Amino acid sequence: MRLTRLRLVLPALLLLALAGVLSACGSSSSSSSGGTEAAGIPSEFKAPTSAPDSAEKGGTLTQLNEGDIDYMDPGAAYYQVTYSVTLATQRTLMGWPPNATQPAPDLADGQPQVTDGGKTITFKIRPGVKYSPPVDREVKSEDVKYAIERSLLPGVPNGYTPAYLADLEGFKQAEQAVKNNKTAAPDISGIETPDDQTLVLHLTRSSSIPVIQALSLPVSAPVPEEYAKKYDAASPSTYGQYVTFTGPYMVQNDCDVKVDTSNHTAEAQNSNCSGKLTGYKPGKSIDLVRNPNWTGDKEGDYRPAYLDQIQIQEGFSDPTSASQKILSGEDQVSGDFPPSKTVVQQVATTSKYNKDQMVAVPSGGNRYIALNMTKPPFGPGSGLSAEQALNVRKAVIANSDRTALRNTRGGELFGPVATHFIPPLIPGFDEAGGLQGPQGSEFDFVQNPNGDADLAKSYMEKAGFKSGKCEGSVCNVTMVGDDAPPGKDTATVFQHQLEQLGFHVTFQPVAHDIMYTKFCSVPANQPQVCPNVGWIKDFNDPQSILQVPFSGDSINPSNNSNWPQLDDPKINKAISDAVTITDENERAKVWGGIDDQITAQAPAVPWVWDNDVLVRSDDVNGVANLFNGEWDLAYTSLSNP
Amino acid sequence: MLRYIVRRVLWGVVLLFLVSAVIFLIFYVFPNADPAKLRAGRQANPRLISQIREQLGLSDPIWEQFLRYMTQVFTPFDWFGASQHGGTGPLNFGNSFQSNTPVKEIILDRLPATGLLVAGAVVFWLLMGLPVGIISAIKRRSALDRTTMVTSLAFISAPVFWLGLVALYLFASDVGLIHIFPGIGSYLDADTFLAKCWSLFLPWLVLAAATAAIYARYLRSSMIDVMSEDYIRTARAKGVGERTVIMRHEVRSAITPIVTLLGLDIGLLLAGNAILTESVFNIPGVGREIVVAINRSDLPVIQGIVLFGAFFIVTFNLIVDIAYAYLDPRVRYQ
Repeated sequence: MRLTRLRLVLPALLLLALAGVLSACGSSSSSSSGGTEAAGIPSEFKAPTSAPDSAEKGGTLTQLNEGDIDYMDPGAAYYQVTYSVTLATQRTLMGWPPNATQPAPDLADGQPQVTDGGKTITFKIRPGVKYSPPVDREVKSEDVKYAIERSLLPGVPNGYTPAYLADLEGFKQAEQAVKNNKTAAPDISGIETPDDQTLVLHLTRSSSIPVIQALSLPVSAPVPEEYAKKYDAASPSTYGQYVTFTGPYMVQNDCDVKVDTSNHTAEAQNSNCSGKLTGYKPGKSIDLVRNPNWTGDKEGDYRPAYLDQIQIQEGFSDPTSASQKILSGEDQVSGDFPPSKTVVQQVATTSKYNKDQMVAVPSGGNRYIALNMTKPPFGPGSGLSAEQALNVRKAVIANSDRTALRNTRGGELFGPVATHFIPPLIPGFDEAGGLQGPQGSEFDFVQNPNGDADLAKSYMEKAGFKSGKCEGSVCNVTMVGDDAPPGKDTATVFQHQLEQLGFHVTFQPVAHDIMYTKFCSVPANQPQVCPNVGWIKDFNDPQSILQVPFSGDSINPSNNSNWPQLDDPKINKAISDAVTITDENERAKVWGGIDDQITAQAPAVPWVWDNDVLVRSDDVNGVANLFNGEWDLAYTSLSNP
Repeated sequence: MLRYIVRRVLWGVVLLFLVSAVIFLIFYVFPNADPAKLRAGRQANPRLISQIREQLGLSDPIWEQFLRYMTQVFTPFDWFGASQHGGTGPLNFGNSFQSNTPVKEIILDRLPATGLLVAGAVVFWLLMGLPVGIISAIKRRSALDRTTMVTSLAFISAPVFWLGLVALYLFASDVGLIHIFPGIGSYLDADTFLAKCWSLFLPWLVLAAATAAIYARYLRSSMIDVMSEDYIRTARAKGVGERTVIMRHEVRSAITPIVTLLGLDIGLLLAGNAILTESVFNIPGVGREIVVAINRSDLPVIQGIVLFGAFFIVTFNLIVDIAYAYLDPRVRYQ
């Protein structure tokens, strides 16, 4: 998924000082991908991923957010911050305990059975899991089938179902059926429910690994058809205002659920209710209460659910004051915003707050500067051959001081300098070279994070520019980037780096969404340089990092996310073949190799593997979830509830 | 007078129609993010985007979308496919592209916060601005006059967001140096009316500061003009008491332009002009909502809020005109 979070507002001057401060805080030399060491996070800022033994039930926690979730409807939910809510309120087939690097069974009663050479997947659904009021009934396998099918409706805008579940038998026919009837979920013949507890998925090829991973996303949260159908018949679906829940928490609705804080249970006060959510006010607040029909480990739920209630307050546009409110104990945890650099500096260098009140979690995402490979000087044309254009791109990467680029976001705590594209904690990261990056002379241009002017000069000479600098009209390039910090700061620093190499850069700053929807994601309008793009994993598999942004098959005339427009037949075929590898070790090795192939084509300047930086108040036992890089609300507790 | 009011109301409706047209054009003429693409989310394929565009009615001709919207807002009829796209009216502003929530519901949910913010701020700026203006005019060129006028100039020059942040970092109970007033987002925690009022104390002061300064300077200037009028001298010559001269003759005449300003200011603030104050203090009002809607290209919400705003401005202008007739006996409408 495209990176859209992390907005910072303070001047760039502080960054350079802060980068130095944080560099002294710890080492980033580890290359293990098994834990947060791989992300180079200083030890005092590592996030706890399990609750302390002393954790107690009770209390109300307040989380502060800058913006809103994208969709309450689990069929459409796709933001990392939204996953904070769905992880606490929904039981998906596979789930993500906080320290998991691979999905664990949640609604599924054990790991799925994969047969037929990876073309058939069978899930058993746990018995006894019930929906929140007013539905109140037990979950059946048909509910998961309906949940997946309704995600094809245009009124339930789901971006990832066609990307990861298209290998289901009958998927294309279902897509066709939606064209004729846009308000009724189509039947996908490859999903069978022989009984209430069994769900069988038939695939057209051996793509069981990405399919199982995708079923850890909110789309596999069950939806009762008899309840949701009337809402899905509206155009667009209004189910998002009437969602029913299976997890430990639910959004307050007109059933008026009251929590008994003495025994940590809940009960609906109004039996004559429609299920209309009263606790979700878009852009304002989300009120979560205990789900009266959730009985925890009796139905095999791994979540402890310590808190009685959770209030998510939105609209905190100043990260400095919001972070300080949290650190001072006025509120409890941060949501979708990182602390400002002022606050990071305060926590890292003064004794005003405890250092462990701020933690960093690898986000599983990367940020890079896309070089348009279809237009000279980064693509062939205007007298440049494809080979010369490749050398120009390598020169740009070699010259780029990626440490300076990273400092525009906040220094080392915000992530290690990227040397390739698969981020830490994702299989294939080590195979692609780990933190150090791929080795060998063909990868020399990514090896110096501070830039290597001499190497850049030699590549420019290979590209036919005898002076070692770009010359002539081919060197006039357009760059479209963010009009606000920190994206604008990144673009400005990179503009300067391009100009060092002789390019004449016209920088056009625009709003972030416009940058994507009008320029960088529209190949016909795409400038030579898009400095503010990036990609975050959908799940812990390298396919979700590399396929959409770098396969030529995924280039679209609009909403395109292959920003460099890399379209190399060898890479396209390697990606297509790697989708069906079912052996995990083999899969990591092959995708690591594909990452090397992509890096060798120099389609972009990879400059950071993002960390999410979170803050908490001192009275909170915060537990971070490695899957979405946010506080896990079902594991976090208050120290004195 | 009744005829005048009816005429003004009819003109108000025409004005609202024109405002809607202008807003609609602005959104289609100037570049903005595509709502269908934003709603489709990341990785969405062109097929899904085009289906969403069709579903939201964005693939229809612009004139048809505009007339459908006008039908929904101003009439009860099912014209131009109104029932298929958000339902029929009247006073139906459609549904948010993002959350699919009815726009009317969103505005009515946000209006109380803005209303309370504006009401309190109006009280504060009148209590501060009017006495200062009157005293400065009476004590013209005194040290007091010069001090208050320089201070008011400082408040007028200070941007509201800056003043808000400074106030927070000085006086807020959470992040301030001196913990006096409730801080950012405290309105969200307030349950009772009194708690809400207390949570808005600092925003009231901040929002009122600049306006009070403007009113003080305006009233001072207006009173100085009035004080040199013949009828004021005549009143004094007739032996009318100084207090009566000031309050009944000078202030009453000088305050009419202030009433005009007040009507416009209240209308503008209710229309969402308290954007900065609401954003700095995280007050979930109409102003903050329109910022969120603009960021998300949520056209129905933007149009709805602008129309609501225009309604308030037209209404308060009407009230001002009626108040004029009372305050200034020279004004009479037939």
